[in-house]
Amino acid sequence: MASATDTRRDLKAPTDWVAYAFVALFTVPFFIFNIAPIFFSAYLSVMKWGIFGPPRFAGLSNYRDALDNDQVRMAFTNILLYGLVIVPGVLVCGLLAALYVHNRWPLSSFARVCFFAPYVVSATVIGLVWVWLLDTQFGLINHYLSYAGIDNIPWLTSTRWSLFGVSITSIWWDMGLAFVLILAALHDIPGELYDAVEVDGASRWQRFWYVTLPMLKPVLSMVVTLQLISTLRIFSQVYVMTSGGPASSSTSVLFEIYTVAIRNQKFGLGAAMSVMLFAVILAVTLLSRRLVREQPR
Amino acid sequence: MTSARRFLKSHNLQPSDVPIWLLGLAIAALWVMPFVWMISTSFKYPGDVMTVDIEWLPRRVTLQNYIDIFTKYNVWRWTLNSVIVVFSSTFLCVLSGALAGYALARLNFPGKRLLFFLYIASLMVPIEVYAIPMLLGIIKVGWANTYQALILPSIGNVFSVLIFRQFFLNFPRDLEDAARIDGAGHGLIFWKIAMPLARAPLIAATVIIFVLNWNNFLWPLLAVFEDDMKTLPVGIAAFTPLYGTATQLEGYALSMAGVTILCVPSVLIFLILQRYFIQGISSGAIRG
Repeated sequence: MASATDTRRDLKAPTDWVAYAFVALFTVPFFIFNIAPIFFSAYLSVMKWGIFGPPRFAGLSNYRDALDNDQVRMAFTNILLYGLVIVPGVLVCGLLAALYVHNRWPLSSFARVCFFAPYVVSATVIGLVWVWLLDTQFGLINHYLSYAGIDNIPWLTSTRWSLFGVSITSIWWDMGLAFVLILAALHDIPGELYDAVEVDGASRWQRFWYVTLPMLKPVLSMVVTLQLISTLRIFSQVYVMTSGGPASSSTSVLFEIYTVAIRNQKFGLGAAMSVMLFAVILAVTLLSRRLVREQPR
Repeated sequence: MTSARRFLKSHNLQPSDVPIWLLGLAIAALWVMPFVWMISTSFKYPGDVMTVDIEWLPRRVTLQNYIDIFTKYNVWRWTLNSVIVVFSSTFLCVLSGALAGYALARLNFPGKRLLFFLYIASLMVPIEVYAIPMLLGIIKVGWANTYQALILPSIGNVFSVLIFRQFFLNFPRDLEDAARIDGAGHGLIFWKIAMPLARAPLIAATVIIFVLNWNNFLWPLLAVFEDDMKTLPVGIAAFTPLYGTATQLEGYALSMAGVTILCVPSVLIFLILQRYFIQGISSGAIRG
C-alpha cells in the first residue's frame, strides 16, 4: 500500500474546492453501488425478506439457519480445501515460471505470453475448455494419462475428484497474476547482491536460497494473501464447470449463496451467509499476514 | 558452430542450461495447449469430436459450428449487449478514475485522506459480499434486466483511481505549475496538460478495466433474468455439455466455437498492448 502521507492535506495551501467536482463522478456511484450495499447487507442479514411482501425482523435466525445447514457447512469446508490446493499450486507454478522467464533466455517473451495468457480470458472460457479437457471418456487429460497406465479419472463427475478438477483449472487460470507480480519483484532485486555472493563462489541453488528467496518474501506473502482472498470467493468456475456437484462435492460458499438467494429467493439467508463469508475472508487474510510477518528472519 | 556459441553467449545462456531452457519452452507451449485444443475442436464436425484417437489438426474442417452459434442462439444479441455494457462502463470508470486520481494526487481539500482510506478499505470487501443486497435494491427500483443495472455498479472500480493517483504522484508538476501561474484553472490544466501526459496510465487502465468488464461474470449473471439482456460470458456459459441446457446434443464442438469467440477481444487486446497490461497489473497500483 502506498504510504498515507502522500495524500495528506497541506494545511498551509489554499483549499481547492473544485476537487469535490473532480472526485464526484467516481465517488457518487462508488458510494451508492459499492459502499451502501455493504451496510444494507448487514441489515438484510437480520431480516426475512423475499421479492414479494414486506420485510420482517428475524434476529439472528438467518445465521442460525445457515449454521444448521449441512450444505452450508460443506461449502465452508470446501472453500478451505480449495484454498489448501489452489494457493500452494499457484504460488509454486508462478514462482517457477517467473524464475524461468527472468533468465531472459531466447524466446523468453514467448514464454511470458504463454504463462500469462489464461489470466486474461473469462471464467466461461476457462470453465468450458476444461470441462472438455477433463471429460472422463474423451478428454485430452485422461487420454494422455492413459499412456502412463492411469485409468480414466472422472474429474468432474465424481464426488471424490470434482474439487480437484475445479482446482487444477483454477491454478491454470490464476497463475498468470502471481507470475507477473513475482517477475516484477525479481526484476527489482539489485544485481550487486548477486555479485557479492558470486565472489564467495555461491552455487546457483545457494544464490536462490540466500538471496532471491529472502528478497521475494514480501511479494510471495502478497501473492498468498491475494490468491487466498480470490479462492475463498471461488464461484464462476464452480458455476460453469460443475454447478457445485455432484452431490455438492465441489460447491463453494458463494455458489450456495447464489442458490439460496436466486433459486430459493431467501435474500435474508443469502445476506447472512455473505456476512459470514466476509468474516472468514477477513480472519484468514489477517491470519496469513500475521503468520508471514512473524516468521523469524 | 561458432555462431551457435555466440548466440548462446549473447543471450547469457550457458551450454549446460540448454536442457532447462528447452524444457521451459516446452512447458510454456504446453501451458497454452488448451487454447489450441479449443480452436481445433471448434472447427470439427460434431461427429468428429468425441473420438478415441486425438486429432490435433481436424481431418475435416467446417465453419458450421460458428454459423450455428450465430443463427440458432442469441449470440448476436449477447455480443451487442456486452459491447454496449463494456464500452460504457470502461469509459465511465476510466474517466472518473482519472479525475479522482488527479484530485487525490494534486489538489488540496478537506476529507482527502478519509476518501483515500475508503477507496483502499473497499478493496477488502469483494463485490460478492454485497451482490445480494444490491440485487434486491436493483429489483426494487425496477432496474432488473436493464443496461444501467449492468453499467453503473462497475464504475466504482478503485483500480482506476489508484493507477492515475500513482502516476501523478510520481510525475513532475512543473508544467502544471507554469500553467497555473498563467492563470489556468484546474479543469483546464487537467484536460489540456495533465491528461495528454498521462498516456501510459490511460492505456493501462483502459486495457485492464476493459478486460475485467468483458470477463465480468457474477453481477451480469445475477442482474439479468431475460435471455435478451444477457452478456456474452453469461450467455455462452449455458453451453456446457455437462450440466448446461443449450448443447446437450451438439456437444463440445459448438461450445468451443462459443468460447473461441468470447476469447477474441480480450486475447487480442492483451497481445497488442501486452506491455501496458503487464506493467499496469504489476505496478504498485494493485498492491492494495
